[in-house]
Amino acid sequence: MQKEIKRTWHFKQSPKEVWEYLTKPELIEQWLMKNDFQPIVGHKFRFSFTSKPEGTYRDGVDCEVLEVKPFSKLSYSWNGGTKDGSRTFNSIVMWTLTPKGNETQLELQHNRFTVLEDLLTHSDGWNSCLKRFEEQINTIRNDNTKP
Amino acid sequence: MTTPSLDAFQVIADPSRRRMMHLLSKDSMTINALAKNFDMSRPAVSKHIKIMCSAGFISITDIGRERYCTLKQDGFQELQDFIDYFDKFWTNKLSKLQSILDDRSKK
Repeated sequence: MQKEIKRTWHFKQSPKEVWEYLTKPELIEQWLMKNDFQPIVGHKFRFSFTSKPEGTYRDGVDCEVLEVKPFSKLSYSWNGGTKDGSRTFNSIVMWTLTPKGNETQLELQHNRFTVLEDLLTHSDGWNSCLKRFEEQINTIRNDNTKP
Repeated sequence: MTTPSLDAFQVIADPSRRRMMHLLSKDSMTINALAKNFDMSRPAVSKHIKIMCSAGFISITDIGRERYCTLKQDGFQELQDFIDYFDKFWTNKLSKLQSILDDRSKK
């Protein structure tokens, strides 16, 4: 079973330019969500959004900046939950920028979901239980690189 | 006995239920055979089985006098949907970022 989200995108722009869109609140808002982000480790911020009436998850995501390495690495916690409060999840979002000539490879990892952690790490036998299931998932994956 | 309706995450949160699913991952088993592996009352085992069954993790088939439990995929799918939700979310957002940056470079 897939335990994390890991994807790579290629940008024609420089790491500096891509970095700006990951770290400047007004630029982040253009593609992601309204936010009060600051590139300072320990800064607590929030991505605000209004979820659809039929949506499962509650409005907004609470975050804390964990790592800032200008133009190369950025990570923050990503904590949210369901509207009915039955389930909360903590997770980590990590961005890695790698220069490719004048262009940029951007990798996103979104993992360490606490809600899945018990399932994925605290039970040795669990993985074998999911083997059959894994095969199915693998056939849906591996289509993630964009030109 | 009423069976509480739990979502997939609540179902797998219980170590006994995870162990039951692990045992069932090897082969289908009767409720009695399953119960022998656990130090709990037969009604308690039955209750766990009902919970897993209603959340789609196992199915129960009656063969003769015995009730057989078999692992089912539906329950696991809900866990995968959770990951997929975010996967799609980021794919959409990043393609938006890509088009914003591309538009900007054209100017």
